[in-house]
Amino acid sequence: MPEFSPTQYAVPFFVLAILAEMIWSRLRAPEAYEPRDTLVSLAFGLGSTVASALFGGLSVALVLAAYEYRVLDFGEPWWLVWWAWPLAFVLDDLKYYWVHRAGHRIRWMWAAHVNHHSSQHYNLSTALRQTWTGNFTFGLLFALPLVLLGFHPIMIGIVGGFNLIYQFWIHTEAIDKMPRWFEAVMNTPSHHRVHHATNPRYLDRNYAGVFIIWDKMFGTFEPERDDEVIRYGIVKQLGSFNLLWSVFHEWIGMLSDIWRSPWKHKLSYLLREPGWTHDNSRDTSDTIRQRWKERNGQTNTAHEPLVSNRNPIAPPNEAA
Amino acid sequence: MLLQFFGSLIAIFALAGLAVLLKLGGRPKLSDPNCVALAAGEVVDGFEPVRSSIARDGTAALAKDEADRIMVIKRHGNKFAGRVLTNAASVREEVDALIVDPRETQFGPVRLSLTDAPFWADAINRL
Repeated sequence: MPEFSPTQYAVPFFVLAILAEMIWSRLRAPEAYEPRDTLVSLAFGLGSTVASALFGGLSVALVLAAYEYRVLDFGEPWWLVWWAWPLAFVLDDLKYYWVHRAGHRIRWMWAAHVNHHSSQHYNLSTALRQTWTGNFTFGLLFALPLVLLGFHPIMIGIVGGFNLIYQFWIHTEAIDKMPRWFEAVMNTPSHHRVHHATNPRYLDRNYAGVFIIWDKMFGTFEPERDDEVIRYGIVKQLGSFNLLWSVFHEWIGMLSDIWRSPWKHKLSYLLREPGWTHDNSRDTSDTIRQRWKERNGQTNTAHEPLVSNRNPIAPPNEAA
Repeated sequence: MLLQFFGSLIAIFALAGLAVLLKLGGRPKLSDPNCVALAAGEVVDGFEPVRSSIARDGTAALAKDEADRIMVIKRHGNKFAGRVLTNAASVREEVDALIVDPRETQFGPVRLSLTDAPFWADAINRL
């Protein structure tokens, strides 16, 4: 059985790439990096590997147990079934899209994923802001269909590692746009800048890992515009470089909300979207976007992703 | 494993140190009401100040909108972060500055040296 962790081998490349981007930043955009922010981002990266080593065991045991109940068997040994590798990569990327989408739309998942978005900067070090608490969510469930289908958990782990490595280089402002054909199919720095933006137009958009096609298929794609300056981070910026606060702030906020809320709302604070409150005292990404649209007179226009707009049966401005 | 951990730790401090050596980051300042309006709109989308005051050193500001919401903005690294103050916020006048505390431990109190400190102290106390 192959013992191979692609992300471990990629670490020297990560360091060199950050070094190169820092030099680019010195020459072109010194504001792209902030030393304390960089320190927090890198510490996040190191901490996440420790957290995985400490808490990942149970997850591994669970998926290995689930593999025993697989529906299909691709043959023995599984790592020599060549066609299963690219198939696993694509299906794992589809899985990533949904687990990532859940990471933004379900507060329990967001509590672990918010870490990755907590920097107001967008550079290669931001890519290493990985969660410490992912093992305390139900993200693993999204991998179960693949395991039950017959893909070995180690195969999923390896292709998932390559998926993460791919996502590293897209965390940069140093690259504007890639060739059109590439932008059409692949996740790129441009698409992912949108994902990290807090501009109302861009909130909860572009969840893709490697292939941007999933966002286009499931209606969450938003292209980057040249006429709008992106601001990065989270809707309520932390205003702190405290590493532990950055890691746990949303868990603390969520648990405190659950503790203080009436019984009938407790589950909603766990499972509904970030920002949801039973008394509407806070904003969700949807309410922020809606208010922004109203302010800009964009309601009920062709910008709305209505089915009738996407599939017109008559030309614009004509009755059907 | 332990060697890998400490090796990574050294690399982390080396990279952060290099960012300092390369003088990355910078120290932006709020220089006029437009800057404050921009920063305020980034803190809360749609927040449009009708009155604002910038601390003398340009590192912080207070802004008030039409709905009488008051926002405190502070420099955070080379960006700005802010909070809309609630009635839990407190304000304290010192000889040369106003200390505005949104009562969020990790965000912390913000020190502003202002020409119109009494106006803001009064407005915050009335929240």
